[in-house]
Amino acid sequence: METRPYFVFGDLIANGGVGAFIGGISALVFGPAWNMLVAMVLGMAIGMILSLPMALGFGALFGAMEVMLPVMTTGMVAGMVVSMSASMGDVGLGRGVGLGVTSGVGVMGVTYLANAVIKRRTPKWTQ
Amino acid sequence: MDAVTKAKWDKVAPNFDVMAGYGPEKRWEPYKRKLFSSMGYGRILFLAVGTGLDIPYFPPRKSIVGIDISDKMLEVARPRLDAYDGEIETHAMDVHEMPFDDDSFDQVFTSCTFCSVPTPVKGLAQLRRVLRPGGDLYMFEHTGSRYYPFRLMMNLMTPLTSRVGPEMNRDTVHNVGAAGFELREVEHVYLDVVKTIHATA
Repeated sequence: METRPYFVFGDLIANGGVGAFIGGISALVFGPAWNMLVAMVLGMAIGMILSLPMALGFGALFGAMEVMLPVMTTGMVAGMVVSMSASMGDVGLGRGVGLGVTSGVGVMGVTYLANAVIKRRTPKWTQ
Repeated sequence: MDAVTKAKWDKVAPNFDVMAGYGPEKRWEPYKRKLFSSMGYGRILFLAVGTGLDIPYFPPRKSIVGIDISDKMLEVARPRLDAYDGEIETHAMDVHEMPFDDDSFDQVFTSCTFCSVPTPVKGLAQLRRVLRPGGDLYMFEHTGSRYYPFRLMMNLMTPLTSRVGPEMNRDTVHNVGAAGFELREVEHVYLDVVKTIHATA
């Protein structure tokens, strides 16, 4: 598990920042008039696509795969969560950003956990 | 020489370090140092030199032959090559067309290379040809993932990234075996995506 403060804070900033941005965009785009399933699929796609250039930018500062994969997942999850919430009832910009940040921090935590599990499961593989 | 691949890397050479030179290198530094600490005293082949980002992690006083398909990359690498406390001889060369004799190297090291070699199993077979029987192949590579949603994203990204650089979904561990190497050890650096591989010819 990554313990170097520069990278831990970098991961937090990247995932929280991208989550906030995608959450905010999704809150502005989607609303109660949307069908929830359509909003969810579109929200996921928009989140993933918009997060790619941001992932590349943060990646130059904080790492390549270690930033790109969780940040794109954050984009996907934040887009999905906020678009679905917006289709069920009006979500203001502030709440959209908050849900996005929460999604980003959650994805970062899950990815750290997944990394620890995968590394422990096959720390060294020998044939 | 594969002109398309060469042109792709020549084009990105001037700005390569902007994307790859700081964050990724700092993050991977401990793992790369550990891998390169296996460099012994025989004849060593290293690919791909790129802009020389790996060179500061090489142990000193080694005799290394480094190749890269892009002479523009090697131009950018020149200050790092000159700063190395040892011998590094470089060649602009396609791994598929290496003119080295069979069994002419004791060790081969690669770093983020086989995400970009157009025909990876053929390229790896060439490494096996130039490596003496029982010689070591050490690799630091990123590969595809077995796990959703990472696998999905890497598959979606590959058509885009392969235009400007690497493919994201290669199964390099399988390719090493398919090229005739005997796999010794695979260690995951990040998820099952970034890993070190040790194999013997």
